[in-house]
Parts: sequence; structure tokens; C-alpha cells
Amino acid sequence: MNNRAAAVSLHGVTKRFGEDVVAVDDVDLEIRDGEFFSLLGPSGCGKTTTLRMIAGLEFPTEGSVRIHGEEMGLRSPDKRPVNTVFQSYALFPHMNVADNVAFGLKMKKIDDSEVRRRVGEAIDLVRLTGLDDRSPNALSGGQQQRVALARALVNQPAVLLLDEPLGALDLKLRQTMQLELKDIQNEVGITFVYVTHDQGEALTMSDRIGVMDEGRLAQFGPPEDIYESPQNLFVAGFVGQMCHLSAVVAEPGSVRLKGGELVGARTTTPNGTGVTLTVRPEKLSLYASASEAPQGRNALKGSIARRTFYGESLEYEVQLGASGSIEVRVENIPSIRRWSVGDQVIIDFHPEAAIALTE
Amino acid sequence: MKLLDERETVEGQEVNPRLERRARRQESWRGFFHAAPAYVYLTFFFVLPLLIIFVFSFASRSNTGKPLLENWNLDSWTRLADPLVRTIAVRSLTMAIANTVLCLLIAYPFAYWIATRARQRTRTLLLIAVLIPFWSNFLVRTYAWRMLLDSDGYITQFGELTGLWGRMLFTQPAVFIGLVYGYLPFMVLPLYAALERMDWSLVEAGRDLYASGSKAFRKITLPLSKPGIIAGSILVFIPSLGAYVTPDILGGARTNLLGNLIVTQFQAARNWPFGSAISGAILIVMLVATMIYFRTGGRTI
Repeated sequence: MNNRAAAVSLHGVTKRFGEDVVAVDDVDLEIRDGEFFSLLGPSGCGKTTTLRMIAGLEFPTEGSVRIHGEEMGLRSPDKRPVNTVFQSYALFPHMNVADNVAFGLKMKKIDDSEVRRRVGEAIDLVRLTGLDDRSPNALSGGQQQRVALARALVNQPAVLLLDEPLGALDLKLRQTMQLELKDIQNEVGITFVYVTHDQGEALTMSDRIGVMDEGRLAQFGPPEDIYESPQNLFVAGFVGQMCHLSAVVAEPGSVRLKGGELVGARTTTPNGTGVTLTVRPEKLSLYASASEAPQGRNALKGSIARRTFYGESLEYEVQLGASGSIEVRVENIPSIRRWSVGDQVIIDFHPEAAIALTE
Repeated sequence: MKLLDERETVEGQEVNPRLERRARRQESWRGFFHAAPAYVYLTFFFVLPLLIIFVFSFASRSNTGKPLLENWNLDSWTRLADPLVRTIAVRSLTMAIANTVLCLLIAYPFAYWIATRARQRTRTLLLIAVLIPFWSNFLVRTYAWRMLLDSDGYITQFGELTGLWGRMLFTQPAVFIGLVYGYLPFMVLPLYAALERMDWSLVEAGRDLYASGSKAFRKITLPLSKPGIIAGSILVFIPSLGAYVTPDILGGARTNLLGNLIVTQFQAARNWPFGSAISGAILIVMLVATMIYFRTGGRTI
């Protein structure tokens, strides 16, 4: 760890519901002070439960949760230095915007003039100036989202927890809010712990990401690492698009496909292990013949089986015979060669782009 | 109509107002047909009887007590100021308010407890338990209380054993116990409905924003369950103000309430106009009180 204290650290945290449901399974996690940290995973992977254990809305069955080095134990949510932006916003319908935002400060018994000043600042920060007297029900989804954010931020918590806060918004608004959230985080310098099932959102916003699968932490690191070097098939498949080919490790640094082709790839398992060769569609290039393709890289023979037009890119499904099929994504730039179904092609890719993974 | 005609002349208006109007008219006819049975029923069996009562309250009586629809007068209404009526009215009002408050105090934690059970099945079973008393006749249940509260009843025996109370039958406390027993479910059900549909993440949000458990209850749960409190209070207060069976069976002669007074006027005293005037007065008071209650509470719901 670096010399800054961890904002949140989880050690061996397990949460069971009843006898046989394990929501979170032995998770170790250190979230640095001031970072934008995302917990990414499909629904039911335990990310929200993990967040709720940091908030104090659930308590771990085993393990410890520390915030700025302090053991939280069974401390109730009102006594923890964290605030949450809930998935459904959970705005108080019987209070107006200003009263919603002021709630935490009033509970802390901060004096009125200070409350008014800070509520005003928070409302300005989320760009809701002038809407103080509105009822939350009279606001749009995006505005409600901002109120929820202001209501949490106004308390200047040590850590801000966000549970899929953009989930209910439409795509355009989501993209704007993503950037805005990132800006706000930079401005206030508070540690953000952001739960999402949207890998794009996690990649663009986070300093570091923890990918969760079935209660376990599958991988943990900066977005680039997660995308470029997935450590297992789950992460490879969940984050971004990935082609899969089954193969066997032939020697360190190379695998043999079912059709017999030898392919250079990043391997970590011993020779003879059955693996899945994974490669991202955008890391592949297509050539008409082997002589056109760059030398010293992987080259696979195949034929175009399907062509899909996406606008900014084209995707070809290439049949590799016995080895299976693979998707190739080509950016739609001028002068790019268009292939048709049935064309014979050579797929070219760098050995570094191919990763042999096991379950 | 005028508004629609004006719209028709608006230039470049794409909608066809005639079509729109026809659709709206059809819609309102459909609504009327759906509601028609209820309209007819309520008109004949609710509005008309009320009007008859109102008319009778201005009528006069023959020597034998037969109501005569002639010599219209205000005598029955002026008699409402009689000290006896006032005593009974105050007693009824106190009883009804106390009953409402006590039902609320007992029902709220109970409804809260049911609404917070995790499993739907458990909640349903508990609700059925609340409704079980309705499966037997109210009169029978009130007579059962009479047995419990009589000299050799279990409650009396227990009270005498511990020296805490004696025979309660035919006293005000007996009526009170009977009223709370009878009207408690009417408080539990609307409270449960309000609490059950409450978004509990709001309470979590409150806790997250530094509210203690009791603070979160007062600032969030309580205000949000207000519709249930209002509905339950009205459902309990109104019938208990006019309660007749319970005070008649458990209260004996000494605990006369408004309900008993009205019955006496229509039966023993053979004074229909006076009975009608009391009924009419209660109705007016109740209407005004309910409207005020809704107004004050309704705004913040």
C-alpha cells in the first residue's frame, strides 16, 4: 500500500443470508483515500451487499470493515463517516429539495445559518439552483439523482457510496452524468465507492475497479489492467467484448487450437492444460493473403461467415474451420477494405493480444 | 362547450376536436355505467333515508307519540341544548376520542410488526388473524365479553385475586374495553396498508444521514404512514361515536351513549323528531370534523 491510509479496507468479509445463501464470500479490498473506486459485476454478484456493509446497512457474517483505519464492527449507519446515494434515490417525498439536502446536517445538530449556507452550496454544486422549494416528485429522474447526490455530499463524508446511481436514467443523460460525477469527485476530493453493472461506466470513471462474481472478488486493478489483462474467463467475458476459442497449451507462450494451428499467446498454465484463448475483436486485422499480413505475428486462415454494420465499425464473423469462429471488429475509416460473406481471409493479431485463460 | 368551439377555429390545428369530444363523451358514459349500480343503491338506501330523518326532525308528534308531518317546528333541535343530551354527548365524544387514541397506540406497533415481517406468507397469516373475529357475529362476541367481565368471569376473578380491579360489567371501563376490542382491526388494517407500501429504503436513507432509529421513525416512518393514521382514526372514531351494541350490552343503564339515546327516542320514548334531530346533529358534526381532519392532514400526505 502507499503511504496514504486506506479509506476503506475489507478483510475476509463474508455475508451469508440464512443457511445457504452466500452473498459475499471472503472479500479482501483496500480502497485508497480520494480514489474513484468501482465495484463491477452482474446483478446478484454481491456488489450491493458489499456496499451496504460499508454503509452499515448490513453487517458482515465474518471479517472486518475498516474506514480510515477504524474498525466499524456493529456500528450503526448513523455513526459511520459515510453517506450513500441509493439506487432508487430514496428522496423523502414529504420534504422539499432543500429539506432533503439539509436532513443529514440537521441530524448532526449543525446550526441553522451553517446548514443554510452548506445546503445552498451543495444545491449549486449539483446545478439545481432555484429548485430548493420543489417536491422531489416534481423533478425529473436526472434532477432527483442530483438531489440524492447533494444530500449525501453536503455532509462531507469520508467516503461516498453510490449504488448504481445512474441505472434509472436514459443513455444520453447517463453519459452526461458520468462526466459530471467524475468532475464533482475531482472537485470535492472525496473517496467514491461506485457500484455498477455497466462495464463501460466502470471503465470510463474509475481509478480502480474491483470485478465481482458470485460473491468473490474476481479481479482488482486499474481499468486498463482489467481490460487488457483479465485474469480469468469471467472478467474477460464481463468486461468488454471477447472472442473465445478452445485450445491446449503447447509450450510457454503458445497454444494449439482444435484445428491444429499453433498460436502465440500469453500463457500462465503448464503445457497440456486445456485453456480458452481469448482475444478482443478490435485487436484483430483482416488480410486477403498471408503475404500481405505482417510477418512474425499470429495468422489464422478463415472465411467470412457474417457481416454486421454498426455505423462507426463493422463486425465480421470469421469461420476458422475446426477451430471454431471468431469476431473481428474493424473501424469504419476511409479506404478500409470491405469484405463480403464467403471471402477467404487471413486474421492477423499480435501474440500479446491473445490470452490463454482457464476457469 | 365554448372552449371546444374556440379550439375548432384555431388555424393549423391538426387534431379533430369533434372526434376528441366524442371520445371523451364515450369515456364519461362508460364511467357512469360502471358506477350506476352504486349510485342507485346509495341514492335509495343512503341519501333518501338521511333526507327522511332530516325532514322528521322538524315534524311534530301526536298525543300517542305518532310523528305528524305537519306543524313543522324547531323544538327537537332546540332540545339538543338540554343538559342531559350534553352530558351524554360529552361522554360519547370522550369515549370515542379515547377509543381512537388507544386503538392507535395498540395498533401502530402491531401493524408495524406485521408490515416488517420479511415473508409475505407470515404477513398474510398475521393479517388473517386480525380478521378472524369478523368470522363470528359482533353481538355474540360482545356477549362473550359480558361473560368475561361478569362476577364469575375470568377477568373479574383475576382482578379480585390480584386486588387490582373488581367486577367491571355495566361500568364505563367495560364499555371502553368492548369498544377497543371491537374497533381495533379497523385501525390495524389501514395502518398496515400504509406501512406495507412504504419504501423502507427511505428509512435506510434516514439512518445513513445520521438519524438514530427513533429519530428516523419520527421524521420518516411516522409522517409517511400518516394516510393510514388518518384513515384508521376516521374508521374507528365515527362508528364509536355512534356505538350502540357495546354500551347497551356492557354498559348497562348507567353508561348511556349517544347511540343508546337515539334508540331510546325511537323506541321507548316514541319521540321520532327528537331522535332524528340527534342523528342529524351527529351527522353534521361528523362531516365537519372529518373535513377538518382531512384538510389539516391531507396537505402534508
